[in-house]
Amino acid sequence: MRYLAIILALSCVPVPALAHKVIAGVFESGDAIEGEIGFSNGDMASDTEVIVKGPDGAALGRILTDADGFFIYTPNAPVAHTFFANLGAGHVAEVTMPAADVARIMGVEAEPDTPPTNAPAQTVAVFSTEQQQVIARAVRDELRPLRREIAAYREQNDLQTVLGGIGYIVGLFGLGFYFAARRKLAA
Amino acid sequence: MHIVDGALSNPVVIGGAVAAAGGIAMGLRSLDLDRIPTAGVLSASFFVASLIHVPIGPSSVHLILNGMAGLLLGWAAFPALFVGLLLQAVFFGFGGLTVLGINTLNIALPAVLAGLVFSRLIAHGSPLQGAIWGGVGGAFAIAATTGMVAFSLALSGDAFLPAAKLVFFAHIPVMAIEAILTGFAVLLARKVKPELFVKGAVA
Repeated sequence: MRYLAIILALSCVPVPALAHKVIAGVFESGDAIEGEIGFSNGDMASDTEVIVKGPDGAALGRILTDADGFFIYTPNAPVAHTFFANLGAGHVAEVTMPAADVARIMGVEAEPDTPPTNAPAQTVAVFSTEQQQVIARAVRDELRPLRREIAAYREQNDLQTVLGGIGYIVGLFGLGFYFAARRKLAA
Repeated sequence: MHIVDGALSNPVVIGGAVAAAGGIAMGLRSLDLDRIPTAGVLSASFFVASLIHVPIGPSSVHLILNGMAGLLLGWAAFPALFVGLLLQAVFFGFGGLTVLGINTLNIALPAVLAGLVFSRLIAHGSPLQGAIWGGVGGAFAIAATTGMVAFSLALSGDAFLPAAKLVFFAHIPVMAIEAILTGFAVLLARKVKPELFVKGAVA
């Protein structure tokens, strides 16, 4: 048991590295969808084929990522777009942009998911289309670094997480101990 | 090493879950009072080992430690590794909950095999011989895991050989490191706590 304790102690040395988890994100970028795909350890998926699928699973298009794992896709239909990439060895990335977001990029109304009813006309925009676009672009540019930061932050495993996990393990096996001991006492 | 959600076809995922459940049941049956702490500590080691990164070139791989679990626990490696994988999926987002079964199978079955094949060899002979067999067992478990990962991908449509080669070659450094680590662990255990192996890890 002593050597196991040593291994465990060694394992607890905080290593700032992250494991191989696939991260993928898509953002609106003007009239196109911008996305990035890579691993959480910083390797980006370069020259990877990304398959764009519609809600019915039919392929809408294929794109290649650049050296930094970035890709840009210009949507043709205001439906939900699912971006799928196979990074090999059991790593796949799949990220969906909802129909409403795609529609906003294209500047049209989303195709309703349910059969159309005789709904009243859409609300009238207070701003002109031009003003709306300027505002949208400004907000988008402000939000992009924030989004990246949140995505990076979400991938972080700090010591608390690790200790929490070990705590769960100790608790679980303690519970196992309890049941095993009760069975032994009953026998 | 962790296959993520959505990479495998449904029959493979379901088959893996059923087989893993069987393995866990076998493991729980063999897990008696004396072995629970060992299983717990190995489960925790496995859980944390995935955060230890070994840089190779521009990329890095992480430790797995399933060979050590198999050598010490035999079938009980199944529940121990399952708990580790479950918590990794929940806390770190490695793998995923739907592929938990197949991941458990891919990692724990080679561990059990390593235990079945090597634990007796480890318990006999001098501690140094035992350590060498321990190292071989540690590397074997990783190699077998890469094979099983490639096989699960092949069942889901990938070509087997390219996938197997890719995973196998990426994990050669891990095999070497785990062989050394497992070897030294066995050496130490044979010296300070030989009864850990004498009873035999195979239930």
